[in-house]
Amino acid sequence: MLLQLNNIFKWVNSGGQRIFLLKDINLNIEEGEFISIMGPSGSGKSTLLNVIGMLDGFDEGEYQFLDESVHSLKEKDRANLYKEYIGFVFQSYHLLDDLTVKENLEMPLLYKKFKGSERKAMVADMLDRFNIVGKKDLFPAQLSGGQQQLVGIARALISSPKLILADEPTGNLNSKQGEEIMQLFKQLNDEGVTIIQVTHSEKNAAYGSRIINLLDGRMI
Amino acid sequence: MIKNYFKIAWRNLKANRLFSVINILGLSLGLTITILLFLFIRHELSFDEMYAEKENIYRLLTDQESDGGREIAATSPAIAAPMAMDEIPEIKYAARMLQNDFGGTASVRANNENFTEKSFFWVDQELLDIFKVQLVKGQRNNALNRPNTIVLSESAAKKYFGAMDPLGKMIKVDNRYELEVTGVYSDFEANSTLDCGVMASFSTLWFAKKPTWYNLSFETYLLLNPNTDPLAVETKMKELLDKGLEKQDQWYDFRLQPFETIHLHSTQISHSYASNMGDISEVHNLTFLAVLILLIACINYMNLTTAYSQKRSKEVGINKTLGAAKKNLLTRFYMETGVLTAISMGIAVVMAILAIPVFNTVTDQNLNLKLFLKPELLTTFSLIWLVITFVSGSYPALYLSAFSPKTIIQPSYQQGRKNSIIRKSLVVFQFATSVVLIVGVLLIHRQLQFINEQDLGFKPENVMAISTSGIRGAQQTSALVHEFESLTDVKSVSMAQGFPGMSVSGRTLRKKNDGQEGLDINTNVTDSGIIDVLQLKLLAGQNLPAEKQEGDKLVDVILNKKAVDYLGYSPKEAIGKEVHISVTNRIVGVVDDFNFSSLHVPISAYAFHNNTGEPKSYLLVRFRSNGLSKTIAQFENVFQKVAPESSFDYSFLDKNIEKLYKRERRAAQVGIIFCGLAIFVACLGLLGLAAFTAAQRKKEIGIRKVLGASILAISRMLLTDFLKPISVSLAIGFPIAYFLMNRWLQHFAYHIQISWTVFLIAGFSVVLIALVTISFQSIRAATQNPVKSLRTE
Repeated sequence: MLLQLNNIFKWVNSGGQRIFLLKDINLNIEEGEFISIMGPSGSGKSTLLNVIGMLDGFDEGEYQFLDESVHSLKEKDRANLYKEYIGFVFQSYHLLDDLTVKENLEMPLLYKKFKGSERKAMVADMLDRFNIVGKKDLFPAQLSGGQQQLVGIARALISSPKLILADEPTGNLNSKQGEEIMQLFKQLNDEGVTIIQVTHSEKNAAYGSRIINLLDGRMI
Repeated sequence: MIKNYFKIAWRNLKANRLFSVINILGLSLGLTITILLFLFIRHELSFDEMYAEKENIYRLLTDQESDGGREIAATSPAIAAPMAMDEIPEIKYAARMLQNDFGGTASVRANNENFTEKSFFWVDQELLDIFKVQLVKGQRNNALNRPNTIVLSESAAKKYFGAMDPLGKMIKVDNRYELEVTGVYSDFEANSTLDCGVMASFSTLWFAKKPTWYNLSFETYLLLNPNTDPLAVETKMKELLDKGLEKQDQWYDFRLQPFETIHLHSTQISHSYASNMGDISEVHNLTFLAVLILLIACINYMNLTTAYSQKRSKEVGINKTLGAAKKNLLTRFYMETGVLTAISMGIAVVMAILAIPVFNTVTDQNLNLKLFLKPELLTTFSLIWLVITFVSGSYPALYLSAFSPKTIIQPSYQQGRKNSIIRKSLVVFQFATSVVLIVGVLLIHRQLQFINEQDLGFKPENVMAISTSGIRGAQQTSALVHEFESLTDVKSVSMAQGFPGMSVSGRTLRKKNDGQEGLDINTNVTDSGIIDVLQLKLLAGQNLPAEKQEGDKLVDVILNKKAVDYLGYSPKEAIGKEVHISVTNRIVGVVDDFNFSSLHVPISAYAFHNNTGEPKSYLLVRFRSNGLSKTIAQFENVFQKVAPESSFDYSFLDKNIEKLYKRERRAAQVGIIFCGLAIFVACLGLLGLAAFTAAQRKKEIGIRKVLGASILAISRMLLTDFLKPISVSLAIGFPIAYFLMNRWLQHFAYHIQISWTVFLIAGFSVVLIALVTISFQSIRAATQNPVKSLRTE
């Protein structure tokens, strides 16, 4: 088992009232699954993704990631945990504007203190695999949306994470580009990467092996 | 990794041009000033460090007391040095020093040519021993042993004799002394308090033959044996004084001043012959100003970097999800600051090198480019670089690196108000500083103008003072006076010992010679022309008589009102009364008070008299002004006709008076430049801040426009947002400025009142400057198409 959420609650206090963002979430995810989280705006999709990604905390409940109890970890250890095992893909790509494609790919490796020669090999490998060798010296602004998202995914994958979290990865793309990206996810999942995506689209959700529906912070 | 940070830093600089230019410009301006002032301060602090025995050298001061108050003078009696050397074993050497004509110039005739020597000193042989003056020709241990000998500085030797060997040559000084050149010394360094152009043996003078306890006109330097307690020596000096003068006759006491403190700590000590004086408070003020300007530049950096945080927060967020630790990001932001500071530092060094000549003129210094070659400077620059990087980089680095990665997933995340409050207080600080500087400069300027326009009680314009120290005998003098009187351009002439703006003899005024405490009075030997030449206002009586009656032994005197007031007479009553000033005087006239000294001090007693004890060294000429160069040429002609062996040395009274305010003028100039730069740098910061605020509020502005806000309304909204902190700065700056400037004005006995108009002008200009700076950005933001700004999300 990759991760397990037990009775997760998250709320904010507003005007003397407690507003629940997440309510009693219970979720088991095995390695190799491809999960789609669906639901209307404000249903807590992104919040759930943040909690799973350990970017955000929660107020009640237990969270097991691999063999670690995330809820009892310190901030710093939690950060180390997600750095090690989780890759993020965003709707608006979030490439670093000042860096070239190659340098964007290299960034996570730098933070993980890989040696220069290793970094070079891994970046070259990734460029090859995603067929973007020709674009390696371009800056994000010089790429189309689909190409940027390709780089975003390549960057998320480069340090071989166990889990990819994707927040509406095709939201800013046209249908053809979107389909290509989903194909890629499917392929990655077939190769053994666990993927959790948030999506609005039934069609994209269908790529996954399991769909979780949220409404007002509850799983339905 | 480091290489990578460096690369990112560089790209960031390039990508945000406005931001980089503003920061680099601000920082390099601040650093340029810091470098220049650092060199200046170093130069000031390095004074006299070349003298091997500097810590054992002392100057003998006299602490003088009279009815007029207390005064500490750098001069002492001629008898002190020889007696001290004989009777006090702790004193190794004692030497006297007297500038020719008590602080005047000397007319030197050498190699059949006339020269005016501005820096002519009569000194004891021991002075060469105390300061170990380097002789390039001749023997140091006996160069000035005999009377009628002289040693020249290399530049003086070159001036007088060119390439010839000056040793053994004769020089005629003031048409009176024939001196043999016995040595040539290398010029004193720029940072030496001792700065004699030539030194002649003191024993030549009449004063050396009959030294007294009464005439305090000589600087005395003492070299004590190592490890001597100076206080013990001071006590022994006082015992010497007790032996020489009866207790009741002692109007002064001795003090020892450590030589090393002379340059920076002598502003309260009068009558020094040293021309190269500094002031520790000036060093402090300038240091403070430099730090202030640098701080303003650092604040710009902090402001702009954090203002830019919207974009940065996203970047930080991404980096954190990619695995960056806080440490990584801190390093990165410091690195960015470091790169920017290094670039600014480089530019600043170049600018400082280019600005040195201007700086030298404005501050009247001689800083040298060679200072840049010293290795210690490199260390200092690196240190400054580090400090600036740390000071200006810390807040942005800590603030930015703390962003949570979740900001990128929920972009609506609002930044705390804390940030904007800190930023606003930084802007307030900058502008409050600018306000203080503007008010300061305005008031200094007004005070100097006030001094210029002040009715001095006499008219210094169009009066030339010609040095007659080279003229010998009554016949030549009267010939000279006569020649000048006959010129059509000349209104009136007078021979005098001195003129307003220079110090003359100090004596004591008493009603009778009864040994009672009297009043300090300045006395000036002159003749019947003085009232006309200076255009003094005669209150009663008449001029000094042109001819002395046969058998009349009394000295005639014209007193000023202050002196007559002290005596308790009205001007009319005073005429014909006898008073005691060294000898018995008869009052023949009373003039209204006039500012014979600087406006720093209140007017005190003054007397013009016709006693013959002191020489009349100046011919004062009031002339009609029609073409100054023509007048000067004509006067020189006449002078050389009468006195072919003297040099024609002249000055103008109004110019001499201006020199009294040299320090203030210099402070005003430095102040204006500093203030201008400080305001400029502060405006740079405001410009950047306005640009980024407009960018940050792009979306808000778009929404407001869609809802129907006009361009005017939006511009107004952005402007008032900035005017609020500026009003706060005014409220803080005004009282500080008032307090500081009030204190400064107390240095003048005659000064302006601080008027509210100054604050009005300062406040108005700050608001105007700020408005001009921000309106461009505000209007641009307001006129933008809202579709554009709303599409960005």
